[in-house]
Amino acid sequence: MTVLGVPILEGLYPSTMDLYPLEAKEFNRIHPFYENLRQKRFTTTKCKKCGSVPFPPRVVCPKCNSDDLEWVDLPTQGKVLRFTEEVAGVPHGFEAPLIHALIDLGEGRKLLSRVVNCKEGQLKEGATVKLAVFDIPAMVVENRGAMEERPRVFFAFEPVK
Amino acid sequence: MADRKVCILGGGMSKWGVREASIVDMAQEAAKDCFDDVPVLKKEDVDGLLFASSYCGRRSFQVNAAPVIAERIGIKPTSMCTRVDTLCAGGSSGIILATGLIKAGMADIMIVIGGEKLYTPQRWETYYSELASIDHDWDGAQGIGLPPPFFSMTAQEHMKRYGTTKEQLSAVSVKNRRNGLNNPKGHFQKAVSLEEVMASRPIAPPLGLLDCTPVTDGCAAVILTHEDKAKELSDRPLVYVRGTAQVALHSMSMNWPGEDLTDWVHLRTAAKKAYERARVSPDDIDVAQTHDCFTISEIIEMEDLGFCKKGEGGPFVESGKSDFGGKIPVNTDGGLLACGHPFGGTGIRQAREIVYQLQGRAIGQVEGAKIGLTHNLSGLNVEHTILIYGREP
Ligand SMILES: [Zn+2]
Repeated sequence: MTVLGVPILEGLYPSTMDLYPLEAKEFNRIHPFYENLRQKRFTTTKCKKCGSVPFPPRVVCPKCNSDDLEWVDLPTQGKVLRFTEEVAGVPHGFEAPLIHALIDLGEGRKLLSRVVNCKEGQLKEGATVKLAVFDIPAMVVENRGAMEERPRVFFAFEPVK
Repeated sequence: MADRKVCILGGGMSKWGVREASIVDMAQEAAKDCFDDVPVLKKEDVDGLLFASSYCGRRSFQVNAAPVIAERIGIKPTSMCTRVDTLCAGGSSGIILATGLIKAGMADIMIVIGGEKLYTPQRWETYYSELASIDHDWDGAQGIGLPPPFFSMTAQEHMKRYGTTKEQLSAVSVKNRRNGLNNPKGHFQKAVSLEEVMASRPIAPPLGLLDCTPVTDGCAAVILTHEDKAKELSDRPLVYVRGTAQVALHSMSMNWPGEDLTDWVHLRTAAKKAYERARVSPDDIDVAQTHDCFTISEIIEMEDLGFCKKGEGGPFVESGKSDFGGKIPVNTDGGLLACGHPFGGTGIRQAREIVYQLQGRAIGQVEGAKIGLTHNLSGLNVEHTILIYGREP
């Protein structure tokens, strides 16, 4: 695979062009989020000291500065409050219509997420959506000169059929 | 040393648009236009540079760009030479920081330059790079980097909650494109009719192409100094930086603080702080440049800046209250919708227009303007930045 204009990149992994997070443990202390996601669990960190449950997950509690955190599950279903269908100017790597929704996950938690497996005009306000986990391209970690592929997953939400 | 009063001496811009030029070229053009605006000033007396650019690191492969720009424009900073990145508010951040440094006596004469080279040889990279502009790992990976989807939901919410109409959204675009008609530095010098805006190509409904600021290359520059030096260097009326505020509350996609998407708590907080610090109220503002990245943005800004009541932004714009001759002329040089939006350049373009307005030399002049306001929202509505300028300190 050649890269036009930049032949020196042939066979190399340009991580600064990677759309997705560098999920591997060598690059990310919240890698358990992605490992849990692979098990279809939607998780975040809870502070053992003050009980705060922020999302996205942290390595230090933003409320009390404790670093004694544990992984807890978040709801994997929610209700669509508002949604939008982007039909033009969608970024490379996504297809139109690119659908996003503000989702009420309950317990006072709202989340803006992409909605997949859904056609234009199909989604309705108030609809129930659930977590969707899918494979994304593997990232590469160099280990003593060897290029190791690390499989990755990511998430969106999808209508409950 | 007592706090010094800080003035903007003058301002300049490169041509904005789809430019056949690099970021370093356009920074030179803006600096030249700005130095030409203050002909008495000797370059060697400029002791500081702030360069506001978010994307030079990614799209021009140039981090730590400030020393590069300093060398190209021929200045040798001795107080400060730094890049500033607040995406859409970068230029305003630069002006606030320069004000603080000069006020404290840590710098005397600073040039603040800002702008972006957003167009890459292939358009996919132009749009793809936008995914770096918010929380990469959480929002970018959801394809939320480009702002139309968020503002589409905001517009829908405003329409449902307050009865705002598509005509009212469109009226913002009609006004600002008309205001930009005679501004040769802006991206567009073409008026659009209400029908054209209403029928423009859907991007993220209800927002169409003409509801959105274009992608634009360009740079702008202003020069700031303290009151005594300003009197020495310029015969024009002095324009003081009276009060500023920047409020960042949250990471957009997960932690929206308002009751709903039209409830811009952080803008109201920024406005309250800036008005207090400038010792003025919304009724005292004679002219404003607010962040019309989308037509809905300007409508909500009218409300949360206190120019009209919450929910009345639509009728306010539609009835001409934010036009020349209205309660408060807004985006008199065309705003983002006509000038375009090279992120780090926008706050400086706005400051330049306010300086020209308060000195009575704007292309579309608001007669007798004495107090002006600029406003930016940055990222996916994560920050609001306000500066208030006046003929009196
Ligand atoms: Zn805690």
